[in-house]
Amino acid sequence: MTVSSVVVVGGGIAGVSTVAELRKHGYAGELTLVSADAVPYDRPPLSKEYLAGSRDLESIALQPPSWYAEQRISLIGSAAAVAVRPDAGEVELADGQILTADRIVLATGGRAVRPPIAQAAPIHVLREVADADRLRTQLVPGARLLIVGAGLIGAEVASTARGLGAEVVLVDPLVPPLAAAVGSEVATWLHGLHAVHGVEALATTVETLLETPTGVAVQLQGERDSREFDAVLLAVGLSPENVLAESAGLEVDRGVLIDAGQLTSHPSVLAVGDCSRLRDHPRAEHWEAAQVDGARAAATILEIAPPPAAAPWWWTDRYGLHVEGVGEMRSPDAVHQTVVRGVVGEPPFSVFTLRSERVIGAVAVDDPNAVRAARRMIDRQVDVRASDLADVTQNLRKLL
Amino acid sequence: MTGISGNDGSSTGIRVASVDDIPEGEGIAISSDITGTEDDIAILRDDDGTCWALNDTCTHETASLAEGWVEDGDVECPLHSSRFNLRTGKVDGLPATRDTVPHRVEVRDGEVYLFPGERP
Repeated sequence: MTVSSVVVVGGGIAGVSTVAELRKHGYAGELTLVSADAVPYDRPPLSKEYLAGSRDLESIALQPPSWYAEQRISLIGSAAAVAVRPDAGEVELADGQILTADRIVLATGGRAVRPPIAQAAPIHVLREVADADRLRTQLVPGARLLIVGAGLIGAEVASTARGLGAEVVLVDPLVPPLAAAVGSEVATWLHGLHAVHGVEALATTVETLLETPTGVAVQLQGERDSREFDAVLLAVGLSPENVLAESAGLEVDRGVLIDAGQLTSHPSVLAVGDCSRLRDHPRAEHWEAAQVDGARAAATILEIAPPPAAAPWWWTDRYGLHVEGVGEMRSPDAVHQTVVRGVVGEPPFSVFTLRSERVIGAVAVDDPNAVRAARRMIDRQVDVRASDLADVTQNLRKLL
Repeated sequence: MTGISGNDGSSTGIRVASVDDIPEGEGIAISSDITGTEDDIAILRDDDGTCWALNDTCTHETASLAEGWVEDGDVECPLHSSRFNLRTGKVDGLPATRDTVPHRVEVRDGEVYLFPGERP
């Protein structure tokens, strides 16, 4: 059956990528994007430039508002889907409107995990632009901020908050965080940057949070007295938004389960981005992964070749340093070797994981082209010598 | 970087570099003081050896495209990997959504001449 109508539910990068890729590949049928936001925006700046106030909502739009009309995409903004009926091909919106389509793509994203504690105004999470707006009002010079969780979001907000003059305490029981993503040596150095920039980074957990008339009283494990904060940010992970998928009877297990073509357990429903999980794989939870999901979903709908497989890539920024990673970092063992280009802790530098003579992962600080080279080495399965990678006078391009 | 432009500033272009100064797949930034344009201009050399010119600042955030990765007719921003077509300046890959501005370049006798503001 030729597909002549598609409804995409969710206006994050995965959903917008899906509609963009459908049009890019010549899909001429009806195309509807249901978004909770008036105009879909990009989330990475919410912990960085947007939170800092240096970029506004308009400048973080995923596409200019006029783009949707130009692409003949019916954008239904500020809307919520309340039911999906796969057999009927229906999506019901909160205002009662019912959309019908040959294919439905779920791009419902996720929610920031909120541990089961009392909701209180000074206790924040960060996922939506409204979250960032609320948090920013509290990031004034001298304000005391506790960040729970020192992963990418927690670390980025710590950096932004310091830039705004706030006093920051950052707690995470896992030290160093991100070791699996960047390797333990780089992870230790990155985590150490917090202290260098005046953040009190503690290897502990929160026992209790109590709202007080002036803020939040926090009891940290291992401390005798509680501490007082003006605001608390919980940055402890993402929970996929699967209410619609579950009620639609789709197979869900820590994400809507999908196959390699983004198809769910129902043949006319696909899922992309943070709400979805490839069976037997963890959720990717990165920006580019969501974008590629959209491209794959479009290819499946149009029955064309999917985008070529590529090593996953991500970035983060903290304290003015730009960190990128690609592929998989592994500790040295019988088959894996760690190669440092430059000196860890003295940017620009990069670190590669080699399996035999193949790069399988790389992390770079202020050395983005090392990661671009590594990405191509991984994707093209190029044999390289460790000594060439480590030689900073060697142009990595020449190794491709 | 000697300006040897004609009176109208565009007839012969501005000599900005020797081709050999720009490795294939890389770029150099030419200051707006020299180009007379609002933004600096990136001279980008594709992996087939051809030279192109685009406004240097990525339209997404503040990054220099001259420090990007040039390959197969595109430059990839060093910050978030937005891709721009070397010839047209059009966005070939998110997160950038706004096209950038291409400028005409000419290579004569191994020297790169830039024509700021002229379309390629």
